[in-house]
Amino acid sequence: MIDLVLALLSGAAGGVVIALMPRAGRRLRNTVVLAFAALGAVFAWRAAVKALNGHAVGVDFGIGGLPLSLQLDPLGAVFGIIASTLWLFAAVYSFGYMAAEHKQRTYYTYLLLAFSVTLGVAFSGNLVALYLFYELLTFVTYPLVIHGRSEEAVRAGRKYVLYSLTGAGAILIGIVITYAWAGRLDFARGPLLAGVGPRVGAGWLLALFVAGFGVKAAVMPLHRWLPAAMVAPTPVSALLHAVAVVYSGVFGILRVVYSVFGHELVRQLSFGRFLPWLAAFTILAGVIIATRQDVLKRRLAYHTISQLSYILLGAFTLHPLGLAGAVLHMFGYSILKVSLFFAAGIIAKQTGKLKVSEMNGVGWRLPLTMTAFGIASLGMIGMLPLNTFWSKYHLMRGSAAGGIWPLALVLVGSGLINAFCFIPTVVAAFAGERGQPVLERGREAALTLAPTVILASLAVLMGLWPGMIWPGVESVVNWFF
Amino acid sequence: MLLVVLIGVPLLGAAALLRLRNHRADIPLIASSLVLVLATLVLRSAAQGGELAYKLQLSGPFVPSLRADALSMVFVLAAAFLWWAVSIYSPAYMHEEGRPRSFAVITLLTLAAVMGVFFAGDFLTLLLFFELMTIASYFWVVHRRDREAIRAGYFYLFFSIIGGLCVALGIVLIGTAAGRVPTVGGGPLHPLEPRLFKHGIAALLAGFGIKAGMVPLHLWLPHAHSTAPTPGSALLSGLLIKVGAYGLIRTGELAGWGIPQAASTAPWLGTVLSILGVCTMLAGVAAALLQSDAKRLLAYHSVSQMGYIILGLGLGLYLGDQGGLGLVGAIYHIVNHALFKAALFLGVGVIYVHTRQTSLYRLGGLWRDFPITALLMLLAALGITGAPGLNGYASKTLLHHAASAAASSGEPWLVWVERLFLLVGVGTAASFTKLYYLMFLGKAAEPAAVRVSHGGVKRFHISMGLLAVVMVGIGLKPDLLLGALIVPAAEALGMNTAAPAAAGVGFWDSSDTAGMVVTLALGMAVCWAGLKTGAFSWQPPAWLTLEGLGSWAGGGIGAALHLMEAAYRRAFAYVCGAGRAFRSRLIESCRRLDHTRHVILGNLKLAGIGADLALVMVTLVLLVVWYLGSPALRLPAAPLTTWLGMPR
Repeated sequence: MIDLVLALLSGAAGGVVIALMPRAGRRLRNTVVLAFAALGAVFAWRAAVKALNGHAVGVDFGIGGLPLSLQLDPLGAVFGIIASTLWLFAAVYSFGYMAAEHKQRTYYTYLLLAFSVTLGVAFSGNLVALYLFYELLTFVTYPLVIHGRSEEAVRAGRKYVLYSLTGAGAILIGIVITYAWAGRLDFARGPLLAGVGPRVGAGWLLALFVAGFGVKAAVMPLHRWLPAAMVAPTPVSALLHAVAVVYSGVFGILRVVYSVFGHELVRQLSFGRFLPWLAAFTILAGVIIATRQDVLKRRLAYHTISQLSYILLGAFTLHPLGLAGAVLHMFGYSILKVSLFFAAGIIAKQTGKLKVSEMNGVGWRLPLTMTAFGIASLGMIGMLPLNTFWSKYHLMRGSAAGGIWPLALVLVGSGLINAFCFIPTVVAAFAGERGQPVLERGREAALTLAPTVILASLAVLMGLWPGMIWPGVESVVNWFF
Repeated sequence: MLLVVLIGVPLLGAAALLRLRNHRADIPLIASSLVLVLATLVLRSAAQGGELAYKLQLSGPFVPSLRADALSMVFVLAAAFLWWAVSIYSPAYMHEEGRPRSFAVITLLTLAAVMGVFFAGDFLTLLLFFELMTIASYFWVVHRRDREAIRAGYFYLFFSIIGGLCVALGIVLIGTAAGRVPTVGGGPLHPLEPRLFKHGIAALLAGFGIKAGMVPLHLWLPHAHSTAPTPGSALLSGLLIKVGAYGLIRTGELAGWGIPQAASTAPWLGTVLSILGVCTMLAGVAAALLQSDAKRLLAYHSVSQMGYIILGLGLGLYLGDQGGLGLVGAIYHIVNHALFKAALFLGVGVIYVHTRQTSLYRLGGLWRDFPITALLMLLAALGITGAPGLNGYASKTLLHHAASAAASSGEPWLVWVERLFLLVGVGTAASFTKLYYLMFLGKAAEPAAVRVSHGGVKRFHISMGLLAVVMVGIGLKPDLLLGALIVPAAEALGMNTAAPAAAGVGFWDSSDTAGMVVTLALGMAVCWAGLKTGAFSWQPPAWLTLEGLGSWAGGGIGAALHLMEAAYRRAFAYVCGAGRAFRSRLIESCRRLDHTRHVILGNLKLAGIGADLALVMVTLVLLVVWYLGSPALRLPAAPLTTWLGMPR
């Protein structure tokens, strides 16, 4: 349990340290950032492995009668593992990407603080802690969104905060009602409302929670802050707006469905039967809108909206296989999407091209980058040597076994539209003849390229051997079913 | 373990090609020879009853498994032989075409993937190699990198992606219906949920049907097969589409081969396959007749010949335990089509290398310059038309017997199947007469320049000659291969009546040979008439072709999406405007409230209260009233102090 606290503290401490060394050179600062991020990751992994092996990992702080409980269950462990690992990759990528940017101290300070807070979301053991960290996450990531300080960035930041706070307000009301009904808020002893049963208003409470967390999970129609937030620097878009922040919303919904209500109660609510179709709508609408975006980062943002709902769809099937698919997708999607965003960032940085329509021939100048992009694209379709096939496979099995097999058709259709979304970009990037100078040279380029390529290869490896992460998936499913 | 080696050898070859840049060894040829030798070894140990299965004990949901039965051996041997023959051919050809090394790497990777598909022991492993095959062979199609190639590549890739997704869907649905992941070679499944099972079979049918070029999912095929470099076309048409047929056979296995139709878990499958097969035969041959490009003509003929195979499979399923001939004929035709279609493509490739031309109307009289090629092409063309003495005759006779056996049941649609079968035979003969006549015999109006220069011709002829020898061998002794490989394959699937049914067909019955000769003669007559009247250069209107309909449908979907987007934008702008108006009105009224220094509530005059404070108070009062009054909400039993303090 000391691991939990240390994991949380190392990010926060790192942020403070960075903030306190305004004159540090780039190399020193990068070393400190990496050291603290690695420290946090090590502790998070230790705690997560313990939790996945079935040990109780937790600690409670009573602050003025308000228990701030940190408890790690398998779901939190999975989120912790994903966030802490990808943070390392994003940190390394940032060293290359942000090398020539201004205000690096602010950037790294908040990056590390956000690390801490994200782990807090994962580790939270009751609704109070979850709410607290969820709310905090908005504030520590706000400076990263407005990093460019342009008018557009400030407007995007405002939108982000407004959406998030509104959602958090809904969650707060939900928490109060939950406490009134259940008399407790901790997740450790089974679903909170299991004893309450399908009473009047339970459906509305579920809707309140889903709307609240759905803001960060970018469930349509609460998604509009996400494409706007793409003005942030690419590592932020990759890590926070494709994984950490949005996953905190997804994680919140998973918690609500499986820890607050419990799958049995949700199944009895008519709103619960509607939820998978909400996710299906977001999946299709998100990816269809994505195909129409010309700016690559916006395309990726809409695509994020679509993919996040895969996870929600799995959760909403209320079937063990569906939940397994959701957890697998949390792993698979995050790896691929970060790789995609990293590649988009490299393209923007090295060639200055932001739009898909300008990318003809980019592949020959950035061959490894575009290869990684292409592999990740195949993953987004759900083709086999990639890890996302397995999540899609389990999501389809979950929906078929859960008695709603048409959802599997939605997933197939979404896979096809994903192909239309990315494949032409990759093909166009390798159009024309090679012979232009290759831009993937130098230290900065290597620092950005290495995480991109490693993540793409990891995705292939996990696709060939999904058993790599299967114990984690299994323990989450066994925990809730 | 031998199976893993067999898949690994081409992979190693590809790796060696990538690593060793300055080598002189012909690595693709070495690798594919090795594969051929190993495949015969596997066949021998399979014949001796050796257990040929391998399972990679991975943890988690994916346990890749490999196995070999008699059916996979037929496909593996055909693939290994074809790859070997093409490896002899391709270096010289690709030297002319450009970028031979990347082509060689892709060819080896595709070989590995194809071997994997045939050796897969369960459907997930099969899907893995199926997708790898798609990705690898995509680079064949776009090898030239020009506009046309990119376009054909899109066709190929998107159709294949849909195919892969459909197969995945089918696996999921069947797995759910039957309670386990379907295995290859596990015999018929007994589903707990027949409806889901039906949907699953349909999904597999679509998925493998796309790869097999089944109408109406064949649209990608003519583009892809005619744009790839010729050795690639030969392998695509010769073997890669057979992977789709292999998938269909395995799908049929889930429903059950050789069991009476009433006992089958998917009794409709045979009917559907037969009808789709006939449609495929007809559409392919009709389109082929109208082609002016040699490679496109051959590609459309691949569609048509796949129709024969699909029809055979359909009849095999439809007739149930009496359907041995259909299944055997289909498997036999798979092998034969692989041989003659590869030879035809390779022959066209020889002409292309020397003339840079594949348009039939610009070629002519080439038998003088290429006598050996002309002879080998003649054999292949006779093979595909089913002339007695060549391999196509054997399988077409079997299929024809199956069709007439089905027609004798008296069902009208089966009678029509047999008639159309004969008609397609005439069409095939006509279009190959056209191809051969225009290319080698006739005279072009403005003939392409011929330059006979380099020394690769010998390898071309060796490669084609090898194929021709096997073709003639099968043609003269059709029983040999039938008894040794094809019938055991059908029996391994559970078709126990295959051996007696096949033995009942005397290949040299006068009625069969005479029928084929008549077909050939009719075909020549049709060709003559078509060339004389100019019917072969007729361009069908868009509404008559699937492509035209498809592009209309695509345009329709695009327009619908556009309309939806516009509607969404309008609605969104309206909501935004309403929200903005509401917000400004709210702010305005609050401001007005703020400026009045007192609030009047009934008789009460609350002087000097700030508007915000008043708002907060009103809200609080409303909340309390709502909270107390709502039946859904009750204060917890605990005292208020503990409720605020939140006890643990």
